[in-house]
Amino acid sequence: MDFMAEFEATRSKSQQSAWRRLFQMKRGEWREARWGLIFISPWLVGFLLFYLVPMIASLWFSTLDFTLSNPEAAEFVGLANWRRMLFEDPNTWVSLGVTFLFAAISLPIGMISAFMLAVLLNSEDLMGKNLFRTLFYAPTMVPLIAAILIWSQVLNPQTGWVNRGLEALGINATGVDGLRWFDDPSLVYIAYTFIGLWGIGNAILINLSALQGVPTSLYESAKVDGASWLRRLWAITLPMVSPVIFYNLILSMVGLLQYFIVPWVLTNGDGSPQGTTRFYMVYFYKQAFTFQNMGYGAALAWLMFIVGIVITFFLFRTARHWVYYSGESK
Amino acid sequence: MHKKITLTTVFAVLMALSVSLVSAQDRVQIRWFVGLGAGTDGPIIALEEAFVEDYNNSQDEIELVLEVVDNTQAFDVLNTQIAAGNAPDIVGPMGIRGRASFPGVWLDLDPLIESTGYDLSDFDPELVDFYRVEDEGQLGLPFAVFPYFMLYNEDLFDEADAPYPPQSYGEPYVDWNGEERPWNMETLRDLAMYMTVDANGFDATMDEFNPDDIVQFGYGTGYTDMRGELVLFGAGNFVDDDGNAQIPTVWEEAADWIYAGMWEDYFYPNGIYRTSDILGGDSGNWFDSGNLAMMPNHTWYLGWGTSNLDANGVGWNIAPIPAYEDTITAKLHADTFGIMASTDHPEEAFEVFSYMLDEGALELTQMYGGLPARLSLRDGFFETFEETIGQEDGDINWGVAEEGLSYPDIPNHEEGMPSFLESSDRYAETWDFIVQNPDVDVTAELEELRADLQAIFDSAQ
Repeated sequence: MDFMAEFEATRSKSQQSAWRRLFQMKRGEWREARWGLIFISPWLVGFLLFYLVPMIASLWFSTLDFTLSNPEAAEFVGLANWRRMLFEDPNTWVSLGVTFLFAAISLPIGMISAFMLAVLLNSEDLMGKNLFRTLFYAPTMVPLIAAILIWSQVLNPQTGWVNRGLEALGINATGVDGLRWFDDPSLVYIAYTFIGLWGIGNAILINLSALQGVPTSLYESAKVDGASWLRRLWAITLPMVSPVIFYNLILSMVGLLQYFIVPWVLTNGDGSPQGTTRFYMVYFYKQAFTFQNMGYGAALAWLMFIVGIVITFFLFRTARHWVYYSGESK
Repeated sequence: MHKKITLTTVFAVLMALSVSLVSAQDRVQIRWFVGLGAGTDGPIIALEEAFVEDYNNSQDEIELVLEVVDNTQAFDVLNTQIAAGNAPDIVGPMGIRGRASFPGVWLDLDPLIESTGYDLSDFDPELVDFYRVEDEGQLGLPFAVFPYFMLYNEDLFDEADAPYPPQSYGEPYVDWNGEERPWNMETLRDLAMYMTVDANGFDATMDEFNPDDIVQFGYGTGYTDMRGELVLFGAGNFVDDDGNAQIPTVWEEAADWIYAGMWEDYFYPNGIYRTSDILGGDSGNWFDSGNLAMMPNHTWYLGWGTSNLDANGVGWNIAPIPAYEDTITAKLHADTFGIMASTDHPEEAFEVFSYMLDEGALELTQMYGGLPARLSLRDGFFETFEETIGQEDGDINWGVAEEGLSYPDIPNHEEGMPSFLESSDRYAETWDFIVQNPDVDVTAELEELRADLQAIFDSAQ
């Protein structure tokens, strides 16, 4: 029997026995189980009230012509919102494309930077480790909105520190032909990624804790065998921390699909420059809350949910090829 | 003994609580939402709170509750409140844009005006009609008007040795060469270029002028959107009488003028400079920065805490709006309060509304920097307003502000359009593109805007 079949059989057996146990509980056991249910009930109630019910309601809304400011006049329109979203509204696909393009640029840069900085902070040769760890984590504690506003001025084309610094180095960065980070379509994603890097302290921390969990004996053996630093990184470090990398990947991907705050604060959702920052969630928000098309907004939200599920499923399917769990038997 | 004291204390606390609860329950609560127009700046909020406290102390039937939401979020927040069935009772002050953003949610005041015998004789009848909307009724009553004028920085003019702009409508401008010129857009352009200076002290009329290092601008229309910037050349709207999208010819000419001002003559702040430290950073308060020579604006800019000219050491005064092809257009902001149709207490809301327009009107208009719509309250308004904004000795030329009311933009630049919010979003996108890019075919962009607006209007039908 191969591994998956064995796994499915065990799981099925375990589920059956769990149900059987529930019905065959003795009085004392039932009392104990009841307390367990009581303790998790706040979460269950919260999930039902604030997630499941709104989700079902939003699925219903997606079949309505529902204007936010006049909810009494909502009218059932069947799949008209879905048809408009999928076949008639070019902005749906443009905003989805913008989101994926940004994710393709920002995700690898963010993940590699967080990992490499964690490796650096874990290095035996680094002096003042605690100081650097604090410094790299510190920006995470700055409220996001404040950080975005600070960055908007740091990257100001005429008076920002970055462009002034580049000017001081002899690079033409200010003026009409200068570097206009937020106004040039070819630079705006770099600027946004830069702002994103400011808050990778959490990812660094998670990577760092994973790196510290790798047994040093593995490195010592590899060193004895003459493995270089790069070889040790590739053959030991990466496989050993791959579950954490996978975890960061899922969180980052979901975060990027929901990318909203940075473009909203910087552009108030106007999509500038030239529509390059009309991310999917910005478009969704504008349709639902600014233009008051709640029915159409609900359809857009469901499309993003489906896209998120598909991507997550795809990532989990690939995980078996590159994520290594040390306790796993194959 | 201990037990007795504890029980007595608990009893006393319960009694006090029940008395205050009964007292609160006796009053009808009326929620006043501020955010669609003036009234969300820090210094004003304290004054609004004091107004509410005074009102609540003045009677015992109604409890007025203030809700202030920042203007950038107010539209979305109000939308959400309406959808959640948690809408406020009174909204305002708000202009036409605020009202037009929420079609169908306002209470028709006609029955209340009739049942209470509300006296309208102290208002200009045309201004009362201004708030009458076809198929919806009388959605507001005039509260305040905000005259428009040209603010100029006296210090910068003195430094450049340039004569100040004319002091009344119809007066010509005598330029720095002693030449008398009509006060129009061409003169404004030349004066603005003269007042635009780079880091080396060259002005924009000189060959040596460096547009990459400007430290002082001559002119810019700040604190408004595309329609507000274009209306200087004449009144118009993006929708014609038949409901079709249009770009008024004067607006095309205005767009060309502004575009050239930004990217060829450099006297008008372009996208590079608009949020730079030179012009006040993200605040967008160009005139307050002290680096802009002229900026047209309304009295609200001075009145509700937006400007901080004294603290920034900016010596200022006001002048007439220049003409374009012999026509002067001084755009008008006229604010009102609205009662939401969903209110459970229309009579009480109307009582508060009446108070705001009657006994409380002078206090509120001073606070927001608007000229009272009540004709009986206008006399001496500017003397009191000078005190409010700390300009008792400013010798401000307020006559120009009142004169400006004679040149309103009709149709108003904030007038409604089909799918108002979506249409506004679309034209904002075009304007942003024009403001940010030096290589734009303005005519083609405006034609594309017209076509897109037409599509939005069509889908709204």
